[in-house]
Amino acid sequence: MDLQFPVEVENLCFSQKEVGNIVAPRLSYSYMQVDEDDFVLDIHNVASYRVQKGKEVCICPHKNSDIASIRLFLNGSVLAAVLHQQHLLPFHGSSLIYDNMGVIICGHAGIGKSSVALALCQNGGQFINDDITPVRIGQSGPTIMPIKTHIKLWDDSLQKLNIEYDHLERIRPTINKFYLPAQKYFSMETPLNQIFILGTHNENEFNVTELKGMEKFDKLRKQIYRKSYLKGMPETRKSYFKQILQIIESVRVTVVTRPQLCDIYDTMKCIQKELAK
Amino acid sequence: MKKLVWLVSYPKSGNTWFRMFLANYLKKAQEPVPLEEIQPASISSDSVDFEEITGLNPFELAPDEVDIYRPEVYRYLSLNTENDCNFIYKKTHDAYTLNILDKPLFPEDVSKSAVYFIRNPLDVCVSYANHGTDKIDKKIDFILDEGAILAGKRKGQLRQIMMSWKSHVQSWKNQSLIPIHFVRYEDMVQKPVETFGDIIQFLGLEYDTELLRRAIMNSNFRILQQMEQENGFQEKMQLCKSFFWKGKIGNYHNFLSDEQVNRIVKYNYDTMREFGYIDKEGKLTV
Repeated sequence: MDLQFPVEVENLCFSQKEVGNIVAPRLSYSYMQVDEDDFVLDIHNVASYRVQKGKEVCICPHKNSDIASIRLFLNGSVLAAVLHQQHLLPFHGSSLIYDNMGVIICGHAGIGKSSVALALCQNGGQFINDDITPVRIGQSGPTIMPIKTHIKLWDDSLQKLNIEYDHLERIRPTINKFYLPAQKYFSMETPLNQIFILGTHNENEFNVTELKGMEKFDKLRKQIYRKSYLKGMPETRKSYFKQILQIIESVRVTVVTRPQLCDIYDTMKCIQKELAK
Repeated sequence: MKKLVWLVSYPKSGNTWFRMFLANYLKKAQEPVPLEEIQPASISSDSVDFEEITGLNPFELAPDEVDIYRPEVYRYLSLNTENDCNFIYKKTHDAYTLNILDKPLFPEDVSKSAVYFIRNPLDVCVSYANHGTDKIDKKIDFILDEGAILAGKRKGQLRQIMMSWKSHVQSWKNQSLIPIHFVRYEDMVQKPVETFGDIIQFLGLEYDTELLRRAIMNSNFRILQQMEQENGFQEKMQLCKSFFWKGKIGNYHNFLSDEQVNRIVKYNYDTMREFGYIDKEGKLTV
């Protein structure tokens, strides 16, 4: 069973037994428990997952679950727990190399991160990660870590990008979103130069604002992937606080607010224009 | 602690107007508070809130799966939202339903009360068609459809089970776990002091006549229209000219044919009569 987990862990295993509970976790919901080095997630009719110390992942599939769904949550919410436990600051964004610059396009679910990143890759860019981009602070500054997450796109986005999807694999049996194998992934750790934060409004024009100083910090903090876990991970949160302060020293952060209804390529052009500055 | 107060309505029934009144009342504002002040009290079907709190992408879950986690979102909000008042006011368009685990979407353990804003479905239909720039017949089909849902596709808001207009009303009326107060939009327009005052008392807020009058003035429909024209309003759809459109009682006379009126009335007759939109003789009151 190929789960295609995007990062290296010491042990990734299936278990027939339930994954158990965390004793006195700092954060607890009916379906999730979070502590600094321990994480439990239960997805109804899919699987229970447990992540420990950033290196052990245990999966207990539920009866009648399908492998696509098990993999989807493993490579999203569970991957986030692994990255958090490894203190690898994950941003909720797709990343690429464009004009020799490391770029992340952030934003919440459904905002169009993947589509715009792919449109840029159709026009000279090279894809790094989809949806989740870990950033590490190296000796020469912040770098994007390639983790080879697969690009996920809705059928309508694929149509707009002129990509045939009949042969593509659905992310879940009942959802019209598909995995698109990238033509060429950029697999080297690369300096991060620019972060875009995508949003929408009900106006007909694009609004572009480059952030300065602590505005950058406030906005970037909100782009952390699955930041709700950090309520149960105070040490990790502190570590991220320092890392974001380092990121804002050298990385440009721009908020791009696009019309609710607009063409993917118009958003791409708006970002290209900013990257050319 | 029960902190959440649900402001419930079918779309275009006075919910946003009331939230503006409430913002003015709670703030004891001398001047009208700007429209963006009600943004933090976002709608219960906000997908960003859902993803931020649950750590799950709502568009990679089936809508019925999303509804499993929604009660947790509200429990989280109840525990973690800090604001100046004791309660969290949350707009919702959802009918009162149970999820596939037979749990109410709106959990009783954190719900203090609900206010239901009801408006003549004939006017709802016309106003709603303008809001979404849809054809009127399409909106009539929607408000008569027991399977009607809003959103929940691949972006925007979470799926909201609406059902028909009458079933939406009855779903909230027939539940007994959350204390509920029904308010007619028409009474908000025609006898605002009494109607808004009753809501203030139902919510257990301090009743201040002067403040009440001022908050009503500050959230006057014309003022809201003017503020929207000057600074826009996020709840407006991109293709719709304005969120605050006419607000008039009986505006349907200008837009609906007799046949269209009959379709809506026939289907919703009992509920319309129960809430005074049809009189004892079976005639429309507006």
